[in-house]
This record gives sequence, C-alpha cells and structure tokens, in this order.
Amino acid sequence: MRIKVQKIGDGAHHSESVVEIKTTGGGVERLVIATRSLQNNSILVGAPLGHKGKEVLVELPREAMSGTSRVWVSSKNLLEDEARVA
Amino acid sequence: MILTDREIKIAIARKLIVIDPPPDETVAFTSTAVDLTLDPSVRIPKQNVAGIDIVIDPGAPGYNSEEIIKRLTDPQTIPKTGYRLEPGILTLGWTREYVSLSLVTRIAARVEGRSSLARMGVGIHVTAPTIHAGFAGPIQLEIINHGSKPLLLRPGMRICQLIFEMTLGTPEKGYSGQFLEQRKEPKRKRGGR
Repeated sequence: MRIKVQKIGDGAHHSESVVEIKTTGGGVERLVIATRSLQNNSILVGAPLGHKGKEVLVELPREAMSGTSRVWVSSKNLLEDEARVA
Repeated sequence: MILTDREIKIAIARKLIVIDPPPDETVAFTSTAVDLTLDPSVRIPKQNVAGIDIVIDPGAPGYNSEEIIKRLTDPQTIPKTGYRLEPGILTLGWTREYVSLSLVTRIAARVEGRSSLARMGVGIHVTAPTIHAGFAGPIQLEIINHGSKPLLLRPGMRICQLIFEMTLGTPEKGYSGQFLEQRKEPKRKRGGR
C-alpha cells in the first residue's frame, strides 16, 4: 500500500524531501524521505498492521520527526501499490 | 544471521536489496559487509554567534528537525582536496549510494563504521544504525571526529559499511492482502457464541 503525503519542503540533502502525513485525530507527522520514492504525492508503507473502524495502522518507511514509526491514518488516504512485489 | 558476501549478492540480484550505483564486486565487499562511499554533499555546523542561545525541543508542537538542521548548518560540497573535519565537530553526511530494502524481504541492515577511520577517532553514526525493511534513500551519517587531530574527508572515500541480517520471519507490513484478512476481527454471527 501507499499513503498520501504532502511535500512541505526540501531535506537537508539534495536527494531528500520533507513530507507530512495526516493522522487520525487531526494530527500530522513529518518525516524525511528520499525524493525519488515520492510518487504522485504518496510513499510506500507496505501492508496495514491493524484496523480500527475506518482507521488503519501503518509503519512509516523512516522514523518521523516526533520519534514515532507507526501511525493511525484514515483508510481513505491509502492507495493500492500498482508495483507491489508478488 | 548475518548475510555473507555471497548471500548479499544473491539478494541484490533478486532486487531484495538495491544499492545504486552498484558496489564494485571486486573491492566493495568483505565477507559479511558492503562498503559504501561518501557523497560530496555535507552540512557543516555554523560558527556560534554571540547572543544567540538555542535549545532544541523535539517535543514542541510543529517540531521540524530539518528546519533546525538547516538553521544550524551550512551546505557544503566537499572538493577533491577534501574537507577538514576538526576534532569535536559533528558533520552531517550521506552515502553516495541510494539503498533500499524491499518491504517483503526478511532482511534488515545496520550501518557501521570502518576500523580504519575508527582508529583515528572518527565515528559515522550516533546510535541510530538500523535500516528497516522499506527504507529507501542515501543513508545519512552523523560524522564526528573524537580524535585529537583534524581528518580529511574526501568525496567517494569509503566511509561506512552495511551489514545485512536475516530476520526471524517477515515483518507484518511485508505480508500481502491474503494474510491481512486473517488479522481482521471476524464478524460474529448473530446468536452465535
């Protein structure tokens, strides 16, 4: 699966970007990613780890600036990964 | 289990590990690791300015570590003649290689220093060596000179090594949909136990 993100700036290295992910409850998590892993404003997060109604638990590809790696997000912000490895 | 050079090459061939540009098969491998090289882009700390006192608060609302890094450091491209890393100075660097670990892999990695630099007192990370499945990008290095003499960093020098480890099982996020369904709470039949 991929998750929708919003790029909010460049990273400290020219290959990096800073993105925000909306979490449930109105919060956001910021993390640094490789710009080349950003596709159509989304990044790869793999399979969901848990479900709670329409909320889904996912693990981010890198630790967020807050220190967390796993976040609850709305299922409507998840996208199927067309290039998923079989 | 730590992967040997042979197993690392097999994992690269199967695209479970991506290293771009690919490591030189003749000299970049050791028995249980792959050497990575230093990208010319680094960020060096700005000189202290009198009258400015900064306390970093990672718990503050809206905390943005990248903005703080940009505020406290200057970007620099290391010339071929090298960048003089003074003792006690933390410099942020990156590997020249883009590294990615497949989400479906049972492989994790650790970035570690090289003994040739460690003997001079140079460390290349600050207690955060783990590369998880799903990681993608150049690896950021926190380079600090604990030694007593300046050391020249040159672009393309061997700066660190990656050690790959086989995990016990596939991480949850690496499972495909058929397994996901099993983790959903089953619907209870009305009147059933």
